[in-house]
Amino acid sequence: MFCRNQTARATVARGSALEMEIRRGKFRKSLFTDTSQDSDIQKKIDHEIRMRDGACKLLAACSQRDQALEAAKSLQTCSTRIMAYMSELQRMKEAQVMQNIPRRSSDVGPMDDRLPCKGKVAISDLRIPLMWKDTEYFKNKGELHRCAVFCLLHLGGEIFDTDMVIVDRTLTDICFDNPIIFSDAGPGFQLHVELYSCCFEEDYSTGSTPRKLASKLSSSLGRSAGKKLRAAMESGPGSPVSNGGASPLLLPVPSVQGPKYHLLAHTTLSLSHVQDSFRTHDLTISGNEECSYWLPLYGSMCCRLVAQPNCMTQRMMSGWLKVRQCGGDPQSWSKVFAVLKGTSLFCYHRQEDVETNIEPVFTIGINKETRIRASDKDPHSKAQNICISNQYGGEEVTHTLTTESREDTHGWMEAFWQHFYDMSQWRQCCDDVMKIELPSPRKPAPITPKQGSLYHEMVIESSDDLSSTVSDILAQRMQELELRSQLGTSPTWMSLFEENLPKSAGFTRQCTPRLSGLSPSSPRATHQSPLSSQRSPQLGLLSSDASLTSDSDSHCSSPRSHHYGWPEPSSNLSLLSSSPSRLRPRTLSLDAKLSTLRGKGYGGTFQCPCQPPPSSLLAPLPMSSRPPRSPRGAQTTLSCSSSTSSNSSSNSEGNHSPESSEGVSFSRPSPVRRSLRNLRARLDPRNWLQSQV
Amino acid sequence: MAFVPGQPVTAVVERIEIQKLFQGENLILGFSIGGGIDQDPGQNPFSEDKADKGIYVTRISPGGPADVAGLRIGDKIMQVNGWDMTMVTHDHARKKLTKKSEHVVRLLVTRKSLEEVVKHSMGRP
Repeated sequence: MFCRNQTARATVARGSALEMEIRRGKFRKSLFTDTSQDSDIQKKIDHEIRMRDGACKLLAACSQRDQALEAAKSLQTCSTRIMAYMSELQRMKEAQVMQNIPRRSSDVGPMDDRLPCKGKVAISDLRIPLMWKDTEYFKNKGELHRCAVFCLLHLGGEIFDTDMVIVDRTLTDICFDNPIIFSDAGPGFQLHVELYSCCFEEDYSTGSTPRKLASKLSSSLGRSAGKKLRAAMESGPGSPVSNGGASPLLLPVPSVQGPKYHLLAHTTLSLSHVQDSFRTHDLTISGNEECSYWLPLYGSMCCRLVAQPNCMTQRMMSGWLKVRQCGGDPQSWSKVFAVLKGTSLFCYHRQEDVETNIEPVFTIGINKETRIRASDKDPHSKAQNICISNQYGGEEVTHTLTTESREDTHGWMEAFWQHFYDMSQWRQCCDDVMKIELPSPRKPAPITPKQGSLYHEMVIESSDDLSSTVSDILAQRMQELELRSQLGTSPTWMSLFEENLPKSAGFTRQCTPRLSGLSPSSPRATHQSPLSSQRSPQLGLLSSDASLTSDSDSHCSSPRSHHYGWPEPSSNLSLLSSSPSRLRPRTLSLDAKLSTLRGKGYGGTFQCPCQPPPSSLLAPLPMSSRPPRSPRGAQTTLSCSSSTSSNSSSNSEGNHSPESSEGVSFSRPSPVRRSLRNLRARLDPRNWLQSQV
Repeated sequence: MAFVPGQPVTAVVERIEIQKLFQGENLILGFSIGGGIDQDPGQNPFSEDKADKGIYVTRISPGGPADVAGLRIGDKIMQVNGWDMTMVTHDHARKKLTKKSEHVVRLLVTRKSLEEVVKHSMGRP
């Protein structure tokens, strides 16, 4: 397609999609004969087509849902861009043909074909509130209906997309924080904001389910499940080709498998919406509740839309002038280097001062109230004078400027007129320079697999009740850990008596009540208040620890005399010394335990050798010497373990492998986590609760 | 102690009277309970019928009031001070046992061995 003789030629790559389209006659090649602007657009089109092809391939190759969504998003963006470029190109062609005037046929100003200056428009902090029904919002059950959303922002020839956000009923607003800056926007700009969404169902991989089967399935499943399935099917191969319904099809949109975005809402912003603060705008919502991509939008959108016309930020005119203040000495002309920018004419002594940011000698305000006129020809000078009048608080102050030559004066007048025109076109943007934040360097958005909801997660922090005890427990634990490590191994069943160990004071030895006869009052009486909740943490800890050791080992080992169980240690430490260090990551199943128990003659009657008074570091009560109920002692690993567990709280499924419910990973989780875990386990209804009375 | 829904439950029970003990400012009984209609009955190690959602004694503090009164581990509590315990939640049972205003609790408990004893004694002419 490389024609040498044509002065204007379009280079279309062989084998490219563009070439194919041309071959098919979908559009004329002349569309692509270029002028300089056309070639720009054409290049952009080519670029976008390549991007789109890439996105299609990526989409086809994607396995992960997030990747597929991102790829679909780029696909949508590329398609929209291509559409926009195409239509602009076509418009330009038509304008050229019809009017036969130079390409730029945009705003023709009323004054002498004057064009207002361009500017930058930035939109940031986009926020779209959602309006979930309160039942939806708080419900904890059921699947989270999630949608992936993003915004397309379209101004003039520029189209930008925001990052993709996954929205489910735990979110109250859809937020797109990054500022998006459009350069080269005229004052009559139209910024189209479009919100696209696509449902994000993870369970249905329906790529290849035949349509018939799918519809059968969808009718036989429950209504909501069927709806979801059908929606997921929509993105299957049979989906109708759609381009968002906008302009006529210039290129066939490739139908791809994979998620498809649908337009959910849109709005158009223009100059009147520009303000240096947040404003709320209405959204027009398309789609209804039955659509798979539906989200309950509140109907409005908040954002910060600012504009910086070039006349405010750039130097419109500069040059040497002689300025005289009216009312002053007619001959006191000061020669200054003047710069027209924004709302003032800055006058500097020297040209270099402008660069070095030195304060101007004086500033003449040029704003909407300023009046400028050329005065009559001054007999003394060659050129006309320009008079600038301002109202400063009721007083009118006039400056007279004069230049070297008539051309200069004319140039300055032109500049002033243009400036006024710009200000009249950009209206409120010219009152003051609006700040545009530069977008922070794009870092990949942290992908949170599940966005936490305010309402779903309530971490159970230790309440006041628990705090003291838990911290005690933790302190105990630490010590105990140290102690334990120093000890050798002790008989496994010793584990039973872990509790006796200086484990945690917190351990409410509720289980082992201090019998009045036996020992002095336990300070733990306070803990005795049978608040299950209060008990739990400590108990839990106990279990994790004791059970840790107690259980499994117990059954594995032959029942030793439980005498050991009742050592008469005068202090915990000594007990400890005989205690095993347990690190037994294994727990047996309930059946195994029961069978061993029975084998050991677990009878109906027996008392759980519930412990010896809890010697705890906290309350260093001497372990009372318990009558060694050795016979009883025996087996009851079961009971003991249950006792330990019961001492510990129910969290263990109350039975036997207390940890088993927790999945038993005994790598000694940190005490805090354990206590929390125990607390949670205790509150978990699946565990078999035991309470001390 | 098989429980047939809809049919009255009959069991041989032992009456046990426990005097609560003051420990500090708390009244304790010296045992632990497990079970309840809100609990998972399959995890109850003491029950014969794994669908039994009754309240069982899971632990006895040696020398405690319950121990002294003759309560044994594995007992199923049928009544506490007249309040039924066969169809209650775990917390309800706990509350009935730990009323601060009551210093004595009279329990009706049943255990397998009781039945056997009775059968045994009846069997003997």
